[in-house]
Amino acid sequence: MEIRGINTSFETVHIICFSIFNGKCILFSTRLRSMAVTTCLTWMQEKILQNHFGGKFNLLYKASVHKFSLEHLLQVCSNQGPTVTVIYSKDHVTGAFMQEGYQEGKTSFITLFALQETKILECKMKLCVPSMLFVTWTGWHRQKKYEFGIDLTGRKLHISANTSKELGLLQCESISFEECEVFQCEDILNKRKMEEVTELRESLWSSMRTYKPYGDLVHQIRILLLGPIGAGKSSFVNSVKSVFQGRVVHQALVGSDTTGISQKYRTYSIKDEKDGNSLPFILCDSLGLGEGEEGLCMDDVPQILKGHVSDRYQFNPMKPITPGHDNYVDSPLLKDRIHCAAFVFNVNCIEYLSDEMVAKIRRVRRKLIECGLVHLVLLTHVDSMDLITKDDLIDIYRCPPVKSQLEAVHKALGFPLSDILLVSNYTSEWELDPLKDNLILFALRHMLWAADDFLEDLPLEETREMLLAV
Amino acid sequence: MAVTTRLTWKEEKSLQQLLGNVSLRLLYKSRVHGDSPENMLRKCALQGSTITVIYFHNSQQDCILGYLTVIDYDFIKPKVFFYSSFEKDETSKTKAACLNTTQKITDEELAFYSSDNKIFSVIPKNSRLFIHDVLRERLGLNLYGNFKYSEWEVFRLEGIKDVAGYVRKRTRATERRNELLEDLRAYKPYADLVSEIRILLLGPVGSGKSSFFNSVKSVFQGHVTRQAAVGADLTSITELYRVYPIKDGEDGKSLSFMLCDSMGLDEKKGAGLCLDDIPYILKGCIPDRYQERIHCVAYVLDINSISNLSSNMVAKLKQVHKEVLNCGIAHVALLTKVNNYDEVLQDDLLNMNKSMTSKTQVMNIQRMLNIPISNILMVENYASELTLNPLKDVLILSVLKQMLRAADDFLQDLP
Repeated sequence: MEIRGINTSFETVHIICFSIFNGKCILFSTRLRSMAVTTCLTWMQEKILQNHFGGKFNLLYKASVHKFSLEHLLQVCSNQGPTVTVIYSKDHVTGAFMQEGYQEGKTSFITLFALQETKILECKMKLCVPSMLFVTWTGWHRQKKYEFGIDLTGRKLHISANTSKELGLLQCESISFEECEVFQCEDILNKRKMEEVTELRESLWSSMRTYKPYGDLVHQIRILLLGPIGAGKSSFVNSVKSVFQGRVVHQALVGSDTTGISQKYRTYSIKDEKDGNSLPFILCDSLGLGEGEEGLCMDDVPQILKGHVSDRYQFNPMKPITPGHDNYVDSPLLKDRIHCAAFVFNVNCIEYLSDEMVAKIRRVRRKLIECGLVHLVLLTHVDSMDLITKDDLIDIYRCPPVKSQLEAVHKALGFPLSDILLVSNYTSEWELDPLKDNLILFALRHMLWAADDFLEDLPLEETREMLLAV
Repeated sequence: MAVTTRLTWKEEKSLQQLLGNVSLRLLYKSRVHGDSPENMLRKCALQGSTITVIYFHNSQQDCILGYLTVIDYDFIKPKVFFYSSFEKDETSKTKAACLNTTQKITDEELAFYSSDNKIFSVIPKNSRLFIHDVLRERLGLNLYGNFKYSEWEVFRLEGIKDVAGYVRKRTRATERRNELLEDLRAYKPYADLVSEIRILLLGPVGSGKSSFFNSVKSVFQGHVTRQAAVGADLTSITELYRVYPIKDGEDGKSLSFMLCDSMGLDEKKGAGLCLDDIPYILKGCIPDRYQERIHCVAYVLDINSISNLSSNMVAKLKQVHKEVLNCGIAHVALLTKVNNYDEVLQDDLLNMNKSMTSKTQVMNIQRMLNIPISNILMVENYASELTLNPLKDVLILSVLKQMLRAADDFLQDLP
C-alpha cells in the first residue's frame, strides 16, 4: 500500500490510498480539509457528559473529517475500549454510551442519552451488537423499526416513539443531523495519573523541607494572610498543617460568622511529621476585612507588617494596637516582620465584593507596596465552582470557567494573573487527598519564592542592621 | 489488553518539555490494533497533527523514540524526530532533530527519506527500527544496526500550533536559550569602560516596565519571580525609581548589566513621572545607591495601545526623546503584550520575522521616534503565567542582548 501526496493546492491535498481490506482492493480518495479534529461539544456539555458517564473524552472520529460512513467509523473506532457516540442535530445532542465499545461480534449494553441544556435523560437499549445502532441499506433493514438507528450516509437518525419519549425528545420518526463524533472514554484518575500526582507531591514536599530563605537572612518566612471575613484564611492554615501532618487537622477556629471567627492575631509554626523539625515558614492569621466598622482595623496593617504585633493579640476593630500594649513588640527584627502577604478570597464571592471592600483591598495593597512587600492572591473553594469536580483539580488552572474567574479577579482588583493561586481547603474530609495537597504545596512554594524576592530586594544597610541586632 | 497508553508520566513530561503544554490522545496501539502500517493508517489518517512514539529497551533503560507529523501544506514536510532515555536514577535526556523528509508508506514499512537517503523506518513484520547514522548522531543515540522495538503508539497532538515552523522553533528553543544565557553571563561592556550597563525603562503607566524586569529576572532564576510590584491601577504602581541588578541564578554573582525601573508616564499633567526628572536620571544624579549614568534607554510601550496613544502622551515621549538625543544615549523601543510572541523570531531564532517587523505599530514607532527597525523589540512578559516557557525565554533574552548591543554602540561612540 502506498500513500502519495498529489496535487498540493493551498486548501486541499488529495491523498489517493490503495488499501487491501478484507482481501478486496478498495480505492478511496479523500480530501484533506483544513478542518481541525476538534469536538463540537462546548466545555460545559463535555463536562456534563463526562460527569455522567465517568472518564475523560478522547475524540477518535469526526464524520465531517473522516467521512460519513459506517465503514470509516468502524475503521477508526473499533477496539478502542468504552466509547461514547454523539449525534448533533439542529435542536438536540443525542447519543449512545457503550461500555465495551465497538468490538466486532461482541454484544454489550448500550445506554442512549439526550442532552438538553444541563440535563441528561437516558434510556437503556436491549443487549445487542454495537453495529445494530446503525442503519445499513439492505432491503430487509429498510423495513425494520429502529429504537435508535443512525444512518450515517443519509445523515438521519431514526428513533422509535417509545425511545423519543424516554429521552424527552419531540416525537419525530427521523431527525436529520449535521455531525457525528465518537469519543473514547478514558479513566481520568487511572494508575498512571495517580503516579504523576504522587510524584509531584513528593517533589513539592521535599523542596519545601530543603528550602532556605534567601541569603539565610531569617530562619522562618512569615506569611501574612489577609482578606474578607469568611474567605478561608484560617482554613488555609489548617489545610497546610494537614498536608504536613498526614491527617486533616483543625487547629485554627473556623466557621461562618459575619463578624469573623478569628478574633486574635495568630502565628502558626508547623512541624514536619516526617522528621519533627519546624518547617521554614510561619503562617500569620489575622482578623478578616469587614464592612464599615467591622473587621480588621486599617491602621493595624502597617503595625503587623513591620512586626510590632505578637501572637495572640486580641484585635479591636475600633482601634489599632498601641505601643503600650502587652502584645506590642517595640523593636522588631527582620525575623519578626512579615516577608510575604497573601490576599485570600473565596473564588465564588469575587463578583459580590462591595465597592467598599474593593476600596479597602486597594488601600491595603498600596500599603504593602509601600513596605516593599511582595504579595499574592489565593482563591479558595475552587472545587465548589459550578461544574468543577475533584478530577479537574489536576489541571485546574486551564479549566475555562476557572480561567474566566481569574480574569475577573484581574479586572476587578488589578492583580496580574501570574500572582493568582488556586486552592481547595480541607473542610469536611477526614483523610488527605493528593490532588488537594498538590495545589496547597504549589501555592506555598510560590509564597516562599515571593518572600525570597522581598528579602533580596531589601536594602543592604537595613538587613545588616537587622542581623546585627540579633 | 486495554486501550490505554503505555507512556509513563516521566515520558510524557519529557515530551511536554520539548513541545510545551500539549495533550496526547491515544489513537492507535500496535499491540491491540495489529502491528502494521495499514492498521495504523485506519485509525490515524486525517486526525490532524500526530505524534508517533516507539518504545524500546537500550541497556536496561526504557527509551522512547519517535516523530511528529504536523499538518501543514508543504509537500516536503520538515519532520521533528525525538529521542528520550530515562535513567534508573530518575534523570532523563531528550534530544530532538529536525530534518526535511518525504514519507513513503508501504504495507511492509513506514519510511522517511531525506534527499533520497532512507533515514528512518519502522518495519512491523519483525518489529525492527532502522535509523541512519546522520539521524543517530543528531539524536545522540548510541545504538548500532537495526534494533527491535517492543511496541508503538500514535497519538493525536493537541495544544500545538499546527504550523511546522512553530514545532521547529519550540524544539530548538531550549538549546538557544542556553546559548543566550551563556552569552549574557559572559557579557562585558565595550572595552570595559564601565563595570555595568544601565538600561532605563521608560513608558506610559501600565506598559510593562516592572513586568519586564521581573521577566528577565525569572529567566535567570529559572522560576517566576515577583520582585517588582506590578498590576493595573489608575495610577502607576511603581512609585520609586529603582535600579535592579540581575543575579545569575540562585546566589550567583551579579551580571554586567542593570535594569532601571521608573514611574510610568501618566496621561494627566502633573501625574506620573515628572519630565524634569529625566535629565537627572539620564546623567545619573538620582541617588539610589549608585551614581553612574544611563547607557541605554528603552521606551516600553504596550503594542496594542500604540494606535491609541493620545497626543499628550506622544508629546511627552517626544520631549523625553529630545533629552535622550541631547545626551547621545542609545535607545531602543520595547513593545510589550505581544500575544503572538512565538511569531516574532524566525525559525532559526536568530532574527526577527519580516511579518512582525512590517506591522503598522512597528512602523508608527519608527516614524515617531526615529528608531531603526532592528532596535524595535517585541516581547511578551511573564505576567499571566506561573511557569516558564523556553520560547518566551529566548525572546526575552534576545531582546536584552539587543539592548546591550545598543549600549555598546553608545560606549564606542563616546569621545
